[in-house]
Amino acid sequence: MTGADIVVQVIADEGLDVLFGYSGGAILPVYDALFRYNQTHALDDGGDRLPLIVPANEQGACFMAAGYARASGRVGVALVTSGPGATNAVTPVRDSMADSIPLVVICGQVPTGAIGTDAFQEAPIGTIMGACAKHVFLVTDASTLEATLRTAFHIARSGRPGPVVVDIPKDVQNAPLVFHGERELPVRGYRARLHAVESATPDDDACRAFFAALAAAERPLIYAGGGIVSAEAADALRDFSRAFGVPVVTTLMGIGGFDTTDPLALGMLGMHGTAYANYAMDDCDFVFALGARFDDRVVGVPDKFAPKARTIAQIDIDPAEIGKVKAVHWHHVGSLDVSLRALTAHGRRIGFAPDRRAWHAHVAALKAAHPMNFCRDGDLIQPCAVIEAINRITEGHAIITTGVGQHQMWAAQYFDFRAPRRWLTSGSMGTMGFGLPAAIGAQFARRDLTVIDVDGDASIRMNIGELETVTTYGLPVKIVVLNNAGDGMVRQWQKLFFRGRFSASDKSLHKKDFVRAAQADGFEWARRLDDAAQLEATIADFLAFDGPAFLEVVIDPDAGVYPMVGPGASYAEMITGEWIPSRHVPVAQEAEPTGMF
Amino acid sequence: MRHLISMLLQNEAGALARVAGLFASRGYNIESLTVAATHDEAVSRLTLVVFGDDITVDQVVKQTAKLVDVIDVAEFTRKEHLERELSVVRVEGGGPALDDYLVRTGARLLRRENGQAIVEYTGGTDDVDGFVDGLRAIARLTDQARSGVAAIASQESRTGSAPALR
Repeated sequence: MTGADIVVQVIADEGLDVLFGYSGGAILPVYDALFRYNQTHALDDGGDRLPLIVPANEQGACFMAAGYARASGRVGVALVTSGPGATNAVTPVRDSMADSIPLVVICGQVPTGAIGTDAFQEAPIGTIMGACAKHVFLVTDASTLEATLRTAFHIARSGRPGPVVVDIPKDVQNAPLVFHGERELPVRGYRARLHAVESATPDDDACRAFFAALAAAERPLIYAGGGIVSAEAADALRDFSRAFGVPVVTTLMGIGGFDTTDPLALGMLGMHGTAYANYAMDDCDFVFALGARFDDRVVGVPDKFAPKARTIAQIDIDPAEIGKVKAVHWHHVGSLDVSLRALTAHGRRIGFAPDRRAWHAHVAALKAAHPMNFCRDGDLIQPCAVIEAINRITEGHAIITTGVGQHQMWAAQYFDFRAPRRWLTSGSMGTMGFGLPAAIGAQFARRDLTVIDVDGDASIRMNIGELETVTTYGLPVKIVVLNNAGDGMVRQWQKLFFRGRFSASDKSLHKKDFVRAAQADGFEWARRLDDAAQLEATIADFLAFDGPAFLEVVIDPDAGVYPMVGPGASYAEMITGEWIPSRHVPVAQEAEPTGMF
Repeated sequence: MRHLISMLLQNEAGALARVAGLFASRGYNIESLTVAATHDEAVSRLTLVVFGDDITVDQVVKQTAKLVDVIDVAEFTRKEHLERELSVVRVEGGGPALDDYLVRTGARLLRRENGQAIVEYTGGTDDVDGFVDGLRAIARLTDQARSGVAAIASQESRTGSAPALR
């Protein structure tokens, strides 16, 4: 076998059923090996066993692989060429690192002898990606290729998941090699640390200390992050929450880790969290952080976060997250799923059942007094009304992807999510252009579910070339663009913090006709909606269409995202807007941007 | 305060760059860094000196411990350890006083050339500072190279074989 054959064989052995990538000179041997593999391993219906999905560019390919990974929980794979192919992959690699998404990006590289000569399409991927990925391998010794590839998958999916880049010079791809079918690299430090965290469960002393603190608390609150989703710990979280009556707030990345329709669910917290989640965090006396990293969009000012909490407890698989932002009183480093189950079992064994009626009544009162809401009359279409209309049909079962900005926050606030891996968003990096390619990847992972990209007019422009990818592969992806003629979130900040100087955020003079663009890319169902009276009927028609569908909704350009905890402000200073009752007198908006944001 | 961090690293291309890059990307100026293979040629030892408050240095050490190439990492600052730094200095003049000084401090004369002398001194960082200051008082320094700190834990606080950190 050649090195390229080995690349394909290892990918096939990993059980992948789809790959994403864009070709080029330095990756051609692998593309050729893939062609030959698909010829000799054809499915019964004649289809490819390892279909390769070709996007408009490499950023699209890698976001598709990331969307596949986010929706399926498996490792996504992208194959790109050297130089510009690989540098186009930097953004999705960093995005996946920031959100802990398992991804393997295989890059072609110029031949070993040409490395460092400024050869055609050469870029120092090891150095560039080293700062962005969980790990980067440059395979200079062909005999290590097979072990390196298998190790790359292992590193991507194990511990705190993340992206791994394998840079393979062209001569290594062409080298004659023997396939062994099992080898991995030693990476002994990594394996030792992994073994330590994977085998760690809170011992009896730790469990006793935890429940003693929980027993002393009257208002405990779970703060669940993306780790719940990564660790497949949603069931363990539900069991714990119900067993001991602890309400749950989630981060943006934790959405779907706890059924948003559960009575104990308080939705998202943080900068654009629900008012009742943020008030509950202000009122609680015990914070239990699960796979959450006290991100600045959640915590704001660390000293003012959870000001009444006498105990902060934390479980995370990453030791570096313990006490990083807030000091914690109890912590455990280990797998969330295993650790939570161990704690739940201990609590049940000791018959832990404190009376939480007062706290539950308090939380229910917060939800009743400060519900999410927006302007429900007027001629302009409100973005949240669009989301509510979609949600009435999908009922929390669809996969929702988003770009980044206001539409992302509205979707986070107004959709229901009954299960994990239905909410795919660029959380930490905040990458505009994520939504469309991620939706494509997700649809390949879950052909049984409706996949909807809720996008903004500015975000979708970033990767609008992928519209054609949707129709090329006949994917029934639904794309809804909330068009407010500009960078809505930027405009909101300019309005609040830059005295209304809308520098370069207005796109009202731009000429893009989104519907015609979609039609040009082969969308049979492509419409623009600007009449509020037609909202329900159009959404129903849009979702019912059997195939790719594109809907542009012209929304109220002044609609803002509320609640909002301004930069450098505490939850007590949260602005709830016109339609959500606040429990504080509104703070005058004279804030200036702080150094942090 | 001064932190002395010792690290065992897989001896691979790019590994050193990843460690140094991690410090750089978090805004840490590395005061000194030494690196060389250990008795196990697949493993290198890095010794780093950085200045910063305990909490932030602790965080960057934890981040370093996540790198795939890192086998083990430990902070020696509060552990019993031995540290050494080498200084090679070129001086002009000094006459017999220089020879006396070298004997008194235990430094070595490596070479005399064209009225200049190249001398070598090994000791703790403060000792090296003191040696160089003393040297400056009796001769004119024209060039200097320092190795940075190499350190090893004493028996009780040894790091190495068991890569278990936190």
